[in-house]
Amino acid sequence: MSDIIRFDEVSVTVQDKTLLTQVSFTLRAGEKAVLCGKSGSGKSTILKTLLGMYSLAAGKIYFDSQPLTSKSVQSVRRCTAYIGQEPILGADTVRNALLLPFQFKSHRHLQPSDHQLKQVLQRLQLPTELLSRDCAGISGGEKQRLTLARGLLLDKTVYLLDEVTSALDQESKQAVFEVFADPQLTVLAVAHDTEWLERSQPVFEMHAGRLTQTR
Amino acid sequence: METLDISLARMALLYGLCLLPWSLLWLIGAQLSRDIGLSILRMTLQLGLVGIYIKTLFTLNHPWLNAAWILIMLIVADFSILRRAGLRVRYFLLSCFTAVAVSILLSTAYLVVLIIQPAHFYDARYIVPLAGMILGNCMQGNVIALERFFSAVRKNQNEYTTYLMLGASRWEALLPYFRQAVKAAINPSIANMATMGLVSLPGMMTGQILGGSDPWIAVKYQIAIMICIFTSTTLATIINLKLSLPIAFNDFDMLNEQLFADCNR
Repeated sequence: MSDIIRFDEVSVTVQDKTLLTQVSFTLRAGEKAVLCGKSGSGKSTILKTLLGMYSLAAGKIYFDSQPLTSKSVQSVRRCTAYIGQEPILGADTVRNALLLPFQFKSHRHLQPSDHQLKQVLQRLQLPTELLSRDCAGISGGEKQRLTLARGLLLDKTVYLLDEVTSALDQESKQAVFEVFADPQLTVLAVAHDTEWLERSQPVFEMHAGRLTQTR
Repeated sequence: METLDISLARMALLYGLCLLPWSLLWLIGAQLSRDIGLSILRMTLQLGLVGIYIKTLFTLNHPWLNAAWILIMLIVADFSILRRAGLRVRYFLLSCFTAVAVSILLSTAYLVVLIIQPAHFYDARYIVPLAGMILGNCMQGNVIALERFFSAVRKNQNEYTTYLMLGASRWEALLPYFRQAVKAAINPSIANMATMGLVSLPGMMTGQILGGSDPWIAVKYQIAIMICIFTSTTLATIINLKLSLPIAFNDFDMLNEQLFADCNR
């Protein structure tokens, strides 16, 4: 298995505040890793740094063996689905929210059919009638699954998840776990959920910006 | 037909009119007495100075002097735009100057050289007031555009990064905010054109009629200046916003907070 994500002694400092200190880890294709630790310990910062949201004070990040640069960050974002704690649907209706990424030049050629939209909703235990619903009335858990659905429609292979099952009931959570059981998908998830921890390997723990591998 | 002059004694009488609003505001406890006094004093001094140098410009009517005057107006306008938009001057001065200068010079040159066609294109009587009027209106538009754009991006950081993560290029992710900012900037001039003459008589036309011009000539000049204001505002806001993007965003498309006046660093 080839390395998909590699952090090599990465440090991040924002306005004199150190967020990450010499973080090193490797994630291979198909691995499902979990990041745990207290709030503010730097878990979300790791995901965001990989996506170029923070500048590196030291160290290097490699994605698919390519160093992360201003040029390569576009391809990292293209291959990666980031699902944050407060997902933004960015459209008026659920259908338009699912189709949002296909407005952009990089994904225009992948425009999904109505059948594909319904299929992906079913896969995530979401009713197909949701498509015509207004986004304003969508719950937090539904929003998280819809953003996940966007990732699946885009055929993303790497998923960066920030507390993605926190607002889900057991049944919906199982549906999400089943999606990620796919050996083609690589997952780096921030989670406190014991089920995530049991299902994931490797497990990393963050403490005050430092990372240690616990399993 | 000549405009009737107002003697100094009658000017003093004019200032007396201000006593009416001043006393009413004092009675309701608005606590604006100091501000009103200062504003009237500043207006008098500033316009007095404008009178002196415009008279000098008109008397000398030298192309380089006129150009220097327009350059000074442009620089002062750029400082004002950036300060009022909450942006740090040292980062954006060049981009703002380029945008405003290109649009003002283009529309003023178009109006003076192609439309009005005075004996000398640099004639201060035309070029100075026309460039000034266009610049004044264009300045408002640029303040609105820059302020709206950057506050929208800062307020919607999460949405902007979501677009980026969904495969949008920087330009695609910023386009909704860019569009809104440009629309907000040019809406006043569109609304002004639509209601021109209905709600009030426009200032330039009134000035020309008072100055003894034929009302038809005044109407034509008013239409000309409105079209130039609309053109230059649209051009300047679009160029200004476009040029500000590589300054405001880093190579990873993230907004640099240090460029804003309200950022502590």
